[in-house]
Amino acid sequence: MSNSVMESHDHRRALIERWFNQTKTTLMTPQVLISGILMIVLTYLIVVPLIQMTWRTLTWGEGDRRFSREAVTGEVTGFHWTQAVSGPTSEAFLYEPLVNTMITGTLAAVFALTLGVGLAWLVTRTDMPGKGWLRPTLILPYIVPSFALALAWETLFKSPKTGGQPGLFQFLFDVAPPTWLSFGAVPIIITMSIHYFPFAFLMVSGALATVDSQLEECAELTGASRWTVLRKITFPIVAPAILGAAVLTFGKTIGTFALPYLLGRPVEYQTLATMLFSSVSLGFTALGYILSLVLIIITVIVIWISARILGGNLRRFETIGGKGFKANLTQLGPWRWPLFGVVCSIAFIAAIFPIALLGYQTLMMVDGNYGFDNLTLHYWLGKSNPDIARGEPGVLHNTVILGATWNTLRLAFLASIVSSLVGLIIGYIVVRGRAGLVSKTLDQISFLPFLIPGIAFAAMYLGMFAVQRGPIPALYGTFALLVLICVVNRLPYSSRTGAAAVTQIGQELEEAAELQGASWVRRFWRVILPLSSGGVVAGMLVSFIGIMRELSLIILLITPSTRVLMTVGFRYAEEDQTQLTNALVMVVTVLTLLGQALVWQLGKGRLRRLKDRQID
Amino acid sequence: MSATIEIRNLTKRYGDVLALDDLSLTVQPGEFLVLLGPSGCGKTTLLRSLSGLETPDEGEILIDDKVMFSSERGIRVAPGLRQIGMVFQSYALWPHMKVKDNIGFGLGVQKVPQQEIKARVEKILEELSMGGLGERYPSELSGGQQQRIALARLLATKPPVFLMDEPLSNLDARLRLDMRAELKRFHYASDATTVFVTHDQTEAMTMASQIVIMNQGRIQQIAAPLDVYRTPANVFVAEFIGMPRINLLNAELDADGGHPVARIGDFMIPLAWAPPVKELVVAARPEDVTLLNAPESDAVECRVHAVLPSGPELIIQLTRGEETIVVRETRQLDLAMDQTVWIKFDSAALNLYDRRDGAMLVPAAELPGRTTGAEPTEGLAQQSQV
Repeated sequence: MSNSVMESHDHRRALIERWFNQTKTTLMTPQVLISGILMIVLTYLIVVPLIQMTWRTLTWGEGDRRFSREAVTGEVTGFHWTQAVSGPTSEAFLYEPLVNTMITGTLAAVFALTLGVGLAWLVTRTDMPGKGWLRPTLILPYIVPSFALALAWETLFKSPKTGGQPGLFQFLFDVAPPTWLSFGAVPIIITMSIHYFPFAFLMVSGALATVDSQLEECAELTGASRWTVLRKITFPIVAPAILGAAVLTFGKTIGTFALPYLLGRPVEYQTLATMLFSSVSLGFTALGYILSLVLIIITVIVIWISARILGGNLRRFETIGGKGFKANLTQLGPWRWPLFGVVCSIAFIAAIFPIALLGYQTLMMVDGNYGFDNLTLHYWLGKSNPDIARGEPGVLHNTVILGATWNTLRLAFLASIVSSLVGLIIGYIVVRGRAGLVSKTLDQISFLPFLIPGIAFAAMYLGMFAVQRGPIPALYGTFALLVLICVVNRLPYSSRTGAAAVTQIGQELEEAAELQGASWVRRFWRVILPLSSGGVVAGMLVSFIGIMRELSLIILLITPSTRVLMTVGFRYAEEDQTQLTNALVMVVTVLTLLGQALVWQLGKGRLRRLKDRQID
Repeated sequence: MSATIEIRNLTKRYGDVLALDDLSLTVQPGEFLVLLGPSGCGKTTLLRSLSGLETPDEGEILIDDKVMFSSERGIRVAPGLRQIGMVFQSYALWPHMKVKDNIGFGLGVQKVPQQEIKARVEKILEELSMGGLGERYPSELSGGQQQRIALARLLATKPPVFLMDEPLSNLDARLRLDMRAELKRFHYASDATTVFVTHDQTEAMTMASQIVIMNQGRIQQIAAPLDVYRTPANVFVAEFIGMPRINLLNAELDADGGHPVARIGDFMIPLAWAPPVKELVVAARPEDVTLLNAPESDAVECRVHAVLPSGPELIIQLTRGEETIVVRETRQLDLAMDQTVWIKFDSAALNLYDRRDGAMLVPAAELPGRTTGAEPTEGLAQQSQV
């Protein structure tokens, strides 16, 4: 009897010792600790805001007394959804913007895709001349902010009919363009197509580049006609890329904010994104959140459908650089030069003309007069003059603009570095975690921001960080919040770049350091980071460019002290200070182009190093 | 500097696959132990479990009586604290560090002053006759030099245990031969307890002081190289070790005029003793079969199937009915295809196995000390559990 008691006592002690030792070992493993911290932080930054936003649409909030006398802050109510779906204003607040979003988004995606795929084929797989400089030129419209294209369109087609000064069109032909050409669905669709076609162009070019050798072999061996080969081999291989590009383009078009805002507002043409912005700005928070959820749900449905069709191929979005290839080029014959002309025209219309026009517009003393006698450098170099631009000094003397430039660079620099580092760590855990529960969850959480349009993301954070919550201070109005939202927003990209970089590093390299007694931090610092630096730096630059021209993500969170170039430009645009707006957009464009040139240089250097290694 | 390694009842599962199956093993100080087996036999899992890079499901690992791993007590000492050096198949040299930084890395971790690190690295490079290569990057070195840098990394921190995971498999055949000799000198000089994993039996035979043969997560035999060759503990080991392969002939125990014989199809081989089971496998190394060009008593008539000369010796494939018998001859014989020859088995050199479980049959008088090794009955006992 006493013996068995002793035994069970010993047994319990053994169990306690085992539990104690295991816990100690686990806690001493930094990966576990870091995974845990990341899980908590990312949950707080991504999952909690989503839930909170959803919850807010189901409860009364402060200030909702305006809508109903029964409103008790914090209590559950179906009021907001009922209002949004079947209230007297639902037509104007939800259904019309929804229809507009679907029309502009779908059509823009279709046009962008058609243009992108056609150009991709011409530029990668035919003997068309001038491909060397056409390729980077055709990507330009995607690198410049969508905002810039909208401004260029406005500069070209605006007219006093819809308010403001005459555009270039009216100046040249002395006829006001029809209103539907100046503002509304048509210009939105056209400019969005121009902004997003390079995206499809890039994705499909990349896919086309990988088909070549197989295509050539099949064509030669079976004697099939070129058309048959194109139809039976090329298309099925490229189809996932086309579908992927279609989904991503659509996801981007429906969430685009600045472009439809500029081109739709004068004629009251609203999309979900612009309506969301208006609702939140006017204090209709719950309604704004409902619109956010609608946007997110549309994105999720589209991605879910395409994922079912593609079977998980979708994860390969945003590729950095590409490899050179030897193509079995299609001979265009007599079509060679005419097609070259067409592509050149597209490049001119989509890439060169808008930027040139904006640049020219900044040199005009009085808006609407495009003559050479009207040229001035005042908006760049001039000091404050009460007669011009309400006394706003030129770019180089404008403390607001200079401050915003500094903020822009600071924001892009900090956010891209932090996002890349965090992305690398997440990528490390995802790759090295061998698809365990933690690594899978982290992978999925870090992908979530991809589904949330920027403007919806900002709306979420507005609610999340407006007031102090426990130890987390109210971040609204701080620069830190901008950095935070940019970091989280870039995580889907940076964590995948990080995972790709870590995959390249043999596990034994790290194990060797581990056996030498190197701690995880030292291993990360001395082995993982230097060996992944190439890919991570390239990814960082891509993020840097992306953040620099980001508007929809931060427009709701900006305060005067945290202004960046894009938001100052947005404010000038609202004030109809066209020259200054365009000047700012030019600054952003030049900065992003410099960044992009750096990315290409890095890519070239990496290619060269790869080639050197192969020669060895 | 060397240590004793003790492995007790180690088990590791990957899903449904048992990579290590209740495996126990002791490695004596200074031993050069080779883990040998076909791919997937668990040898690499065992090595990685020793290093701590892999966590077994059950069992214990002790190095010099210090518990490194114990599932029972929930102990798992981090790899860096086990005082183990490892050479990887890929060498795992850090490509972004110079040779001197590769070698000095571990010393840096141990917070040895920079001056001393520099001096020690230079000394090691001199010892390995690679002075002057310290400023190069690993990619600028030849395969053999890279191999030496991986060894130099071990010498820098001088751990009492070396683990090597097929370190020679990336070298070309000639270099591999040189590196075997070099590794042997290296072990002799360092005196560290070494566990070496390979699937190459020649490598195992030439390098090991003890060979552990593994299959399906279990130890089949632990013995010195020659003992493994002469007295394989079971049919698996017999078949795995030796080039060309051992002759394994299914036989029934019979008696011929009071003498025990093995009846194989329509011929008989005389046996030196009578085993306790009827269903046998008779194992004869190709060099234990003698070729005769005329009939003799107990000789078996065969037909020449193929002759494969390899310089110093001849490998001859013979057929007799269903059976194929391989003979190794150092004499230069002139044999024609399909020619009739006679062979005679060296009864004393034959090994007999129980056909049901594949375990070796041993004359009762010889049982103790028949196989030399750390735990001679281990493999047999394990096998008979099958």
